[in-house]
Amino acid sequence: MLVVKNLTKSFNSAGGEVHALKDVNMTINTGEFASIIGKSGSGKSTLLSMLGALDVPTSGSIQVDDIDIAKLSAAKQTAYRAKKIGFVFQHYNLIPNLTALENVMLALEFGGMPASKRKARAQELLTEVGLDEDEQLRKPTRLSGGQQQRVSIARALANKPAIVLADEPTGNLDSETGKKIFDLLHSLTRSENVTIIAVTHDMDIAGKTDRTFRLKDGQIVIEK
Amino acid sequence: MNVVSRGIKNALRSPMRSGAIVLMLAISIGLILSMLVARSSVNAKITEVKSSAGTSVTISPAGVHGFDGGGDPLTAAQITTIKDTAHVSSIVATLSDQLTTSDTSLTPSLELGLFGARQQRSSTDSTSSTDSNAAAPADSSSTETTTTRQAPTPKTTVTGTTDQNSVSTDGSDLVLSSGSSIDGSSSDLVALVGTSLATKNSLKVGSTFTAYDKTITVKGIFKTGNTFADSGLIMPLATVQTLTDQSGAVNSVIAKVDSSDNVSSTVTTLKSSLGDKADITSQVEQAAASVSSLESISSLALAGVVGATIAGSVIVLLAMVMIVRERRREIGVIKAIGGSNVKVIGQFVSEALTLTIIGAIVGLSLGIVVSGPMTSSLVSNQSSTATTQAGPGAGGPGRMFKGGMSQLSSNITQVTGSLTPQVFAAAVGITLIISIIGSAVPAWFIARIRPGEVLRTE
Repeated sequence: MLVVKNLTKSFNSAGGEVHALKDVNMTINTGEFASIIGKSGSGKSTLLSMLGALDVPTSGSIQVDDIDIAKLSAAKQTAYRAKKIGFVFQHYNLIPNLTALENVMLALEFGGMPASKRKARAQELLTEVGLDEDEQLRKPTRLSGGQQQRVSIARALANKPAIVLADEPTGNLDSETGKKIFDLLHSLTRSENVTIIAVTHDMDIAGKTDRTFRLKDGQIVIEK
Repeated sequence: MNVVSRGIKNALRSPMRSGAIVLMLAISIGLILSMLVARSSVNAKITEVKSSAGTSVTISPAGVHGFDGGGDPLTAAQITTIKDTAHVSSIVATLSDQLTTSDTSLTPSLELGLFGARQQRSSTDSTSSTDSNAAAPADSSSTETTTTRQAPTPKTTVTGTTDQNSVSTDGSDLVLSSGSSIDGSSSDLVALVGTSLATKNSLKVGSTFTAYDKTITVKGIFKTGNTFADSGLIMPLATVQTLTDQSGAVNSVIAKVDSSDNVSSTVTTLKSSLGDKADITSQVEQAAASVSSLESISSLALAGVVGATIAGSVIVLLAMVMIVRERRREIGVIKAIGGSNVKVIGQFVSEALTLTIIGAIVGLSLGIVVSGPMTSSLVSNQSSTATTQAGPGAGGPGRMFKGGMSQLSSNITQVTGSLTPQVFAAAVGITLIISIIGSAVPAWFIARIRPGEVLRTE
């Protein structure tokens, strides 16, 4: 279970202190598919980076299975990201000179899996998201957008994370491919019992998730 | 795939760029090796020249240069002064003279040639003109002076010495092909005859010949390999002094100094005690002057090593900074999915190392090929300077000695670039320094990249 309490994030800019997040409170149960919507600059990405331990909040707490990740040391945050969090990005962010298989194996390496077991696990994951053997050995530039996002999802799930954080996962795809990717994420939530939090602009997608949070000026205004 | 193999793979990611970096690195590493080779070879030569220079100090009467120039011979009192100077362990005194065919029964074995004829013409010119002026000043005319000129004749050089080995041209003991040594301190009417002169006059051990109206006995035949020396005679110093009516006079003294460290101070002492009556030169001083150009090559080579090291480090540094900046997002992604700073830095260091190692292999091979020619070219470019600098110092008092010195000077330009394991190890060490410097700063950049950037830039 993910519990966010009184989360605040401020930045110092030339024009004074900017509050990106103001007193955010939310609770998401394990295995739920939640979406965060809101306009640009509403604080969606900031919230996502706090949840993924990519950044440290100014105040408040983020409890994942009773551990406050905001208070972890940098090294422990790295380990937390490797084992407990999976990221899916809008621009896929695969490592360009590694093949699809190697990209997934990289995440497994960081997750601490022994070298001998990585390849089989990566192949299994990639097959699960729908990449055939030939495609698995291609570099990202030789894969379509949808295929790259599938690799990205396989990478996010590699270490059986507690939470998958998706930043506009379908934002760069056509509506048909976007729908397929969404369905894939949705089915994985069910089969792997993973919590998924997706930031999205797409109201169709937001409408199909278990929970939706709308952010405005750094605060949650609607929760359903 | 681990950190190291990812780094190696990344190094080969852009063949064109990696190729350019490797090439630039290879040139600087090649230059480092060449300069190290040049420096060590030149330094070895400097040590060799300095150690072979010996501890001799040569004192000759001021103004005398072989048989040229003018001035008074050194006196017995001056020789005593030299002998009593601190650090002078022993001295060898010589008095040389030239025998014309009227002074001796010997036929000179040295052909005059164009050079000898010219030398003699100028000396007979002055003699005959003085004679005619003295005898009949009124009748003298330039035409008569010219007609009285005698045909040039070769002469035989006689060297009176306290040590027969001083005539040896290569610094070792005089080689006798037959007979026995003479006692340099005696005043016997004995001589050692050069092999050419002996052959010309059919002289053997025990033969006699006439010189200065006295009968001289041949005690031995010597061979130096030097045509000038082998056409001469060696006699005890006192004998020559008596025969030429120059009691106590010498025209060259070679003083041995107890250690090479004391040569300079001994030269200074002698210069002050003998004043302007004598010209003093030492091999150590000449060697120092001769190797000064080599010393400048050595410092030049050191500057080259430092410069090439800096250049190499800057190349790797800038290349890695550029690569890190370019892959900022990628580094952010790796950190976001759980890659620690150590792993990311390790990957980039391994990338820098791969580039440096490839550059080192190419550069060291390049260095092995070019270091020899580069050393020779560095040294030969400086050889004209070396000769100029050695020139005034090398003006020794005796012709044979001068010959020996110019041989020493010409050896200085014969520096061969040789690659020793130590030099190679030094080059490899410097290459390692380059890759460490080249990776340290990018590592700092990498550590500063926050994983959150990956989201913020989207």
